[in-house]
Amino acid sequence: MIALENIAKSYSRGDVAIPVLNGVSLEIDSGQFVAIMGPSGSGKSTLLNIIGCLDRMDSGTYRLDDVDIGSTSDDELAVVRNGKLGFVFQLFSLIPRINARRNVELPLVYAGVAAAERRRRAIAALTRVGLQDRADHTAAQLSGGQQQRVAIARALINEPAVTIADEPTGSLDTATSHDIMHLFTELHRLGKTIVMVTHEPEIAAYAQRVIHLRDGVIERDER
Amino acid sequence: MSYFRGGAYFRDMFEQALWALKDNRLRTILSILGIAVGITAVMAVGTVGKGGRHLIFNELETFGLKSVWIFRDFVEKDPRRAVRKGTGIDNGDYAAVDAGCCPAVRHVSPVIRDFTYRPSVRYGNQFAKSDLHGVNADYLAINNDNLSSGRPLRVEDEQRHRRVAIIGPEVERDLFGGSRSAVGSEIRIDDQKYLVVGVLAMKDRGFLESIGSAGGERTNSRVLIPYTTYQQMRGNDEVTFLQVETKGLDYTGAAIAQLKGVLKRRYGDQYAYKTISMEQYIETAGRILKGVSVIGAIAASVSLLVGGMAIMNIMSTSVLERTREIGLRKALGARRRDILLQILMEAVLISAIGGIAGIVLGLLASVGLALATGFPVLPSWWLLAVAFAVSISVGLLSGYYPAYRAASMQPVVALRYE
Ligand SMILES: Nc1ncnc2c1ncn2[C@@H]1O[C@H](COP(=O)(O)OP(=O)(O)OP(=O)(O)O)[C@@H](O)[C@H]1O
Ligand SMILES: [Mg+2]
Repeated sequence: MIALENIAKSYSRGDVAIPVLNGVSLEIDSGQFVAIMGPSGSGKSTLLNIIGCLDRMDSGTYRLDDVDIGSTSDDELAVVRNGKLGFVFQLFSLIPRINARRNVELPLVYAGVAAAERRRRAIAALTRVGLQDRADHTAAQLSGGQQQRVAIARALINEPAVTIADEPTGSLDTATSHDIMHLFTELHRLGKTIVMVTHEPEIAAYAQRVIHLRDGVIERDER
Repeated sequence: MSYFRGGAYFRDMFEQALWALKDNRLRTILSILGIAVGITAVMAVGTVGKGGRHLIFNELETFGLKSVWIFRDFVEKDPRRAVRKGTGIDNGDYAAVDAGCCPAVRHVSPVIRDFTYRPSVRYGNQFAKSDLHGVNADYLAINNDNLSSGRPLRVEDEQRHRRVAIIGPEVERDLFGGSRSAVGSEIRIDDQKYLVVGVLAMKDRGFLESIGSAGGERTNSRVLIPYTTYQQMRGNDEVTFLQVETKGLDYTGAAIAQLKGVLKRRYGDQYAYKTISMEQYIETAGRILKGVSVIGAIAASVSLLVGGMAIMNIMSTSVLERTREIGLRKALGARRRDILLQILMEAVLISAIGGIAGIVLGLLASVGLALATGFPVLPSWWLLAVAFAVSISVGLLSGYYPAYRAASMQPVVALRYE
């Protein structure tokens, strides 16, 4: 369960501090599928990165499954990300040089899982997203949609509780976008928490709940 | 969670490192070359140092490492050198030293030499140049001389003033040309008949001679006769110099003091004496070798520095190019030390390959050097280990900064990097 309270974040450009998040409070229950929408520059990615433990807030409290993230060290955050969070980005979600299977295995590498076990679970996850026959392809040999599906397989492999997705369909055509959203829906049915940023209302429509952000504050929270 | 996450983790890191190096092939090769040249230099310094020491000591040993020579100092210190004639040493002095008055001395031989002429040595109508030495029975042992055939000089030869001679291998070659055995033949030294009783084994001082440090001795053209025989020929009992073997390398100073003490007791201040010891030569040789080593070490350091900087450059560039990848890895759970280890592993991989190439080149170079100069090649496991350790250290040192930078990146910053 994700609990944000009064989160503020600003970036300094030269001497001027530019506020990006101005006191965001938000609770996301386990198993919810949440979409975050809002105009460009409204702070969606910034908020998502904080939820994904990739970035730190300036003030406010963030509890993830009752762990106080604000007072957790960088290395401990790495362990949290490794165990609880999975990531799908708009572009370049994968390491280009290595093949799909090895990309999917990466969280297990950092979790210290043995090679045979890693391989078995990676193939299983790739099978789940329908890419078992692309396991040996590198990212460059995969289409944009396939790359996103590999990233979803990777988000599945460590059984993370929360999948963080920043515009996962942002560079895909409509048909492929809907294929990807079907996968997310399936994850959701399996009980995963999904927090996704998107610009497109028809993509947001797959979520149970849509949070509208404007100028760093929550403008609307639709369920 | 354990620091090292088992072999699979390391294999993954290793594969990552290999891929990264393949992506930067040219720079990788340049860095490897830099390290290889440095390690080759390290190997060369080590081999030359060790081989040189071995060679020089082998050659110095041909003088007897524990030798001390004492003779009258005509040149500098003797205030009345014009008045007093003679060598300042005679059989009485030799007898005193031989009787054991110098506890630091183990063996002593009187040596009669006339540096002003080289007597002609003849066998039939064959002539040879030679250096005539009047010596006693201990001379061979003091000088580490061996015989290739025949027998040494004996005490009876001294007592009976026998006309017997031991000849050097070059004299044997010139007189007998290998056609018949020299031992048992009669040769003529200044038209006096001498029976050849022994032939000296060949001694190699090629290196010392080449640097002009062999004392002007033609060691292989010596002719040794009993000192008493030589003295009889000259009609006096003067000894040109005493050559002693001390009880050990540490006794040089004591032996010199004791020898000078004996002579002072016998003659007061009539003569001044000068001594030469092998210890001095050993020190000189050591200094020369040290000089060579220092120059080599500087060359090695410079090329290792260049190689190290090349590695630092390639690692910095590859870290920059892979900023997003590093961000991704961090997002997926890589901790600081995972990234640190991965980048360090890449750097060490480069330097280890360079190190191995350098060791191979160094071995080839020292074999080449050995073939070209006759310098002995003596690479040791110890030297190989040092060379390898140095290359690994260069990798670690030069990889550390880029690795540290990569490991310190915040995931969000790295992920945003274009
Ligand atoms: N590292 C940074 N340094 C300075 N300013 C930043 C940084 N990251 C984001 N910003 C600024 O913060 C604001 C919010 O950025 P953010 O990426 O959260 O927007 P967004 O809602 O995701 O927009 P988009 O829909 O275009 O992706 C923007 O004005 C952006 O310029
Ligand atoms: Mg964004």
